Amino acid sequence: MKQRKRKIKDQKTWIDYIYDIFNHLGFLIFTLACIYPFYYLFINTISENELVQRSIINFFPIGFHLGNYIALTSVNELGQSALVTFGRTVIGTSLMVLVSAFVGYLATKKEMKARKYMYRFLIITMYFNAGIIPWYLNLSMLGLTNNFMGYILPGLIAPFNIILVKTYIESIPTELEESAFMDGAGYFRSFRSIIWPLSKPILATIAIFGAVGHWNSFIDSLILMQNAPQLFTLQHRLYTYLTSVTSLDAVINSSGGAVVQQALNAKVLKYTISMVTIIPILLVYPFMQRYFEKGIMLGAVKG
Amino acid sequence: MNKKPNTITFKILETMSKIFALASGVILFFPSLNSARATALINHTMSLFTSAVSYSRLISEAIRAIRLARVAEWNFIVLYISSIIVVLGILSAVIGAAFQVGNLKFKNLASKLLFFGSIAQMIGTVGHYLGYYFMHTTSEQAFDTMPIGIYFFGIFAAITFVISLVLMIITPKAEKAEAYRMDQPMQLLVMFLPFAILAFVFNYLPLWGWRYAFFDYTAGQSITIDDFVGFKYLGQLVNNAQTRRDIGQVMINTFVMSGLGLAFSWLPMIFAMFLAEISSRRFKKFVQFFTTIPNFISWVLVFALALAMFQTDGFINGVLMQFNVIEEPIEFLRMGDTIWLQMWAWGTWKSLGWSAIIYIAAISSIDPVMYESATVDGANRFQKMRFITLPSILPTYFVLLVLQVAAILSNGMDQYLVFYNAFNKTRIQVLDLYVYKLGIDDGLIPLSTLIGMLKSLISIALLFTVNKISKLVRGESIL
Repeated sequence: MKQRKRKIKDQKTWIDYIYDIFNHLGFLIFTLACIYPFYYLFINTISENELVQRSIINFFPIGFHLGNYIALTSVNELGQSALVTFGRTVIGTSLMVLVSAFVGYLATKKEMKARKYMYRFLIITMYFNAGIIPWYLNLSMLGLTNNFMGYILPGLIAPFNIILVKTYIESIPTELEESAFMDGAGYFRSFRSIIWPLSKPILATIAIFGAVGHWNSFIDSLILMQNAPQLFTLQHRLYTYLTSVTSLDAVINSSGGAVVQQALNAKVLKYTISMVTIIPILLVYPFMQRYFEKGIMLGAVKG
Repeated sequence: MNKKPNTITFKILETMSKIFALASGVILFFPSLNSARATALINHTMSLFTSAVSYSRLISEAIRAIRLARVAEWNFIVLYISSIIVVLGILSAVIGAAFQVGNLKFKNLASKLLFFGSIAQMIGTVGHYLGYYFMHTTSEQAFDTMPIGIYFFGIFAAITFVISLVLMIITPKAEKAEAYRMDQPMQLLVMFLPFAILAFVFNYLPLWGWRYAFFDYTAGQSITIDDFVGFKYLGQLVNNAQTRRDIGQVMINTFVMSGLGLAFSWLPMIFAMFLAEISSRRFKKFVQFFTTIPNFISWVLVFALALAMFQTDGFINGVLMQFNVIEEPIEFLRMGDTIWLQMWAWGTWKSLGWSAIIYIAAISSIDPVMYESATVDGANRFQKMRFITLPSILPTYFVLLVLQVAAILSNGMDQYLVFYNAFNKTRIQVLDLYVYKLGIDDGLIPLSTLIGMLKSLISIALLFTVNKISKLVRGESIL
């Protein structure tokens, strides 16, 4: 687009140059503001703990070592939380994708009895909720508090994702399915061998956004798992470390078992635990890029 | 085909079996009809379903009594196993009732499922009675209470049993070779139903919790009709000076924070417009890649980064002290006066790059011919931005703006909860956080439910209003 523009008008005035410089500069500053905190956190976790404590490490690491990360491996409650978070991310996301795919598929079937009402019944839940207290009381009544399933079951029906899948499946030519029906396939069979493989792109999109949501979720752990610290998610764990000194001290004591080259301190420990929680997101982030265009529709679709 | 039973009696029996199977399924969720509550040691808010799902909750209040040997634990195991049997029985009966819409082969299967389901339900109910009986005879103290739910589950099971027996007799046997078949519309509906039930249980059932707004209720207790207080809490909301002051401050916070968001809602659009002006594709990708990252980390992590940057021993203070700009560290995070702006700034930092993507996509779909002809007509780049780019993406902006207006009461609570501290607590408390703190931390369930309920009602009304306005002004619905 730009090249074609240049052909017509190639000369730039000095105003254009100044404009370009400021434009680039502005974006550069904002980009820096977005990533510098991550970089700062990282260099502080691998530098000499003594210097970190004195707030000397600001621009580049000094005295490289990985002792802080190694020390964390002996903190049991952290490993437990990582396991719970990983578990809910994998199980919760796969079930959510499966349900969204199947419900989205069923919703495309015009011949279904009362389809319009059934579909609306699901989609309306997008626009209202009873509020956080009734939500909590309901899950408590169902026995899902202090229970791992409390992370999984409430998220199975995701209206946005169902809409996305439905819209996508509607764009698949119906002839493909019709020929399968001709060969005697039922709905399950057709879903499994035709619709599921063909809707992989949209399923990947909802999977990746669902997984990030599970990894980042914090409020449900806070509200539902009040009496089950063994089920705290990683984010919840981090929150307790950030806000209470006593829980951090407990970690410093419990990590004494590992061979620690340098004395741990609360500051460096906070940074390291934060880093451990961020790293998985940063690792999958580059692969998420190509799903962004579809992903933005997650927030802006029509029912 | 003439074997298909179409008599009136048959239809009535089928309908009745459906009704009773469904009724058993519904009362599973009523705590007051929990047939497993054979003792006062089981929480009043436990439904039979919960009793079958969570053994730890079933005995949670009896642990002490068990340890002191006032009551034997196997009593609870009996109750727990019986509950599981009842739930499985009801599940089987409900599936059976759904299968009745199929062909003869399905109807045979349906009768069997109903039959065995009702038997399981009866066995489980007898188990509950035995649990009660043992509790009654073996425990030292009179912990036992006869659960009235036993009658309901027992009678429903007996009726279903009789009906299914009659159905099994009067329904002709299908040919062995006949395949299971159901009319397609019905088959699809039956496949859809489990998910509708899931949505009902997790999204509609909480609405039933709104009743707590009209009862005197403390967590862990059951409510009876005697606790009904009507609009007492609504009165407290209006008349109690303290509550009114709190709510007033909370509403100010909510509106200011949402207002700041609205006032700067054009930022992502401007971001995208200026980014489009940059000719280097690589630079654009670079900016987009790194400005989108913050959107994918949780608010807890944003808070962790905020601590790292702005705490007294963090980056900013570290740098300023290193270069001797300041002597004493500045306590940025304790500046309660500017917390509104801080919250807005963090929100923008987190979401600006991400929100711009939708506009970037919109700009890239503009026909380049428009720019070319504008250039030919002698338009400069500002004029092109003003007269081509802006009008092309304004519709998107308006849709998002309208949705944002509708969500003016819902700031979410994550952000404000993590940044909450003693220095900013009056100004940071938005409606969502207030409801959470009131209900979960202070245990004031009725008042917090009431406020949450009003919020939901106003929000939905707002949504419909802005949708109506959008229809009138732009002739387009946003829902």
